[in-house]
Amino acid sequence: MKLEREIEVINRLGLHARACASLVKAAVQFSSTIALKHDGQSCDAKSIMGLMMLAATQGTRLTLVVEGEDSQQAVNRIVELFSDRFGEEE
Amino acid sequence: MLSLSGTGIGRGIAIGRAIVLDHSHRQIPEFTLSEDAVEDEVKRFRDAVARARTGLLRILDSIPPDSPPETHAFVDVHLQMLDDPVISEQPVESINHERKNAEWSLKTHADTLIAFFDGIEDPYLRSKKNDVHQVVDRVLAELLGHTVTDLSRLDDDLAGYVVVTHDITPADTVTLHQRGMTAFLTSLGGPISHTSILARSLHIPAVVGLHDAVRYIRNDDLLVIDAANGSIILGPDDAVVQEFRDRQQAHREEIASLTLLHHQQAITQDGIQVALLANIELPEDLKLLAPAGAEGVGLYRTEFLFMNRSQPPGEDEQFETYCQVLDTVSGPVTIRTLDLGADKQVDGGRTDGERTINPALGLRAIRLCLNEPALFKPQLRAIFRAATRGNARIMIPMLSSLSELDQALELVRETHRELAKEGVEFNPHVPVGGMIEVPAAAISADLFARKLQFLSIGTNDLIQYTLAIDRIDDEVNYLYDPLHPSVLRLIYRVIEAGRSAGIPVSMCGEMAADPEFTRLLLGLGLREFSMEASSLLQIKQLVLNTTVCDLEKTAKDALQCLEQDRLRNMVEQLNIDKVSTV
Repeated sequence: MKLEREIEVINRLGLHARACASLVKAAVQFSSTIALKHDGQSCDAKSIMGLMMLAATQGTRLTLVVEGEDSQQAVNRIVELFSDRFGEEE
Repeated sequence: MLSLSGTGIGRGIAIGRAIVLDHSHRQIPEFTLSEDAVEDEVKRFRDAVARARTGLLRILDSIPPDSPPETHAFVDVHLQMLDDPVISEQPVESINHERKNAEWSLKTHADTLIAFFDGIEDPYLRSKKNDVHQVVDRVLAELLGHTVTDLSRLDDDLAGYVVVTHDITPADTVTLHQRGMTAFLTSLGGPISHTSILARSLHIPAVVGLHDAVRYIRNDDLLVIDAANGSIILGPDDAVVQEFRDRQQAHREEIASLTLLHHQQAITQDGIQVALLANIELPEDLKLLAPAGAEGVGLYRTEFLFMNRSQPPGEDEQFETYCQVLDTVSGPVTIRTLDLGADKQVDGGRTDGERTINPALGLRAIRLCLNEPALFKPQLRAIFRAATRGNARIMIPMLSSLSELDQALELVRETHRELAKEGVEFNPHVPVGGMIEVPAAAISADLFARKLQFLSIGTNDLIQYTLAIDRIDDEVNYLYDPLHPSVLRLIYRVIEAGRSAGIPVSMCGEMAADPEFTRLLLGLGLREFSMEASSLLQIKQLVLNTTVCDLEKTAKDALQCLEQDRLRNMVEQLNIDKVSTV
């Protein structure tokens, strides 16, 4: 099943290296393909370099596109990470 | 004897001998492979990646359990980058198609990636190109045979040694720390790089961003490092070494003796009482107040209550949190109203999602609150209700015009009327003050002072706005200077405005916590300092050893001084018998 969801980067530092790392760690647990799109640029959420190069700062809106058997669980987990601000302390 | 300076990380003093590890000027060979050599070259590259990976895993395994939690995360980031096909597969294509040697293929590929990062606008995200450098360096070192593990070939006992190099990865910082490294110096790096963050939490004195200055240092040179100032003395004579040893010793003794001060009142030698307050973010921080001897809270940053959640906290939740704080603290509690940034951080509040290019100048703090009474009013109501429980003060952040202040004060009155009408118990006499952090407000502080019951100088933003420098931007960081004459004049202006209006003025930025400036500020008339609890006892000790009337003339002369070097000398004069500088 293919799912799409709008997400916003709310943590202060944006998608910095450690945030990307935890995103990748979560994404690789799922068999679905997981992509994040921004400004016509799309990246694989299982690639830390792709995520870092997305250069998404605080307030950036991204489109999460997940396709596969476990897409619903994947969406839930990823949305949770964003809203937890990747555990970042302010 | 030669002195060098860079960005100091941490506060300690270190004395040790240099170990210079420089792989920054490594020559990268470039050649075209013969067709039948391509396959072997790909294998050579993959083997190097695998060895680099093993090296990182080894570091990950050897991190002691009591290390700061981010230590793992930093190494993990590098492992993931190494595993990413963008780093570990794409160079293979260039080996295959262009028949270039592995080092060159990797290097040119990395250069493209780094150029991409250089184009990123956000300075923090841009600085992550250093991680690309560091990961690629690891593989290059494996390919070239002499390794980053230059480090692992080092003696196991590095006590008494200062590592001097182009750059250190967070992973290497941990390895070197385990072996007892005394301090480190690097050409690259800034105050917010991963390595610096780690060095601070591991208490390793370091100076980064030395650029070419590291070239003056040779193996086995004796070095004295004062991390608080970012200064290094190369080849010090015996007297200098002795002086620094004494300072090191004094520093240790001071830390031990400071704890004895927490009950003592902060009164200068000439009998002037100084209020020392703490900055807090969450109710959890309150437990730090008593051991530090804080008399109250000079800055309670309420926005932390609003972050990390999808809905802003309701009035009742805020009421309970503020009550918790007011019930615990016997002294004044200065509650700063929401200082959220320009970008939306809470759902249910602002609806537009347009990004602002320059958030520091955007719709933030009081601007945002006035724009969104639905966000602001519940906070005001909660504060006035909780204020029946203790000594609350309200502080409005980021004021820049009087009409903003008028609007905010009108909202305060409106809230009072509503609460009274509803018959809800509240305290209508909560003092309302303003945070002076925009130069416009500092210049007209006398006008603001007429309408407010106290002022508080927020130096971090005041300096950033006055000098037009983004503090997070590595490239302009060197311009960040609390001793800039214009900054000092603005500070003095605010202090004077408060004095003539008969209202208290406090300072709650980093400058208030820096012992370098305590006497200057006392001499300029500041009587209330608010800071992180951990700095408080040190500042208290300084206050106890200060005679304000002896400082006033020099402090005011400093305002007339346009040459920054002379100004610095004057501040040194003020601090001459200061008990300690660390």
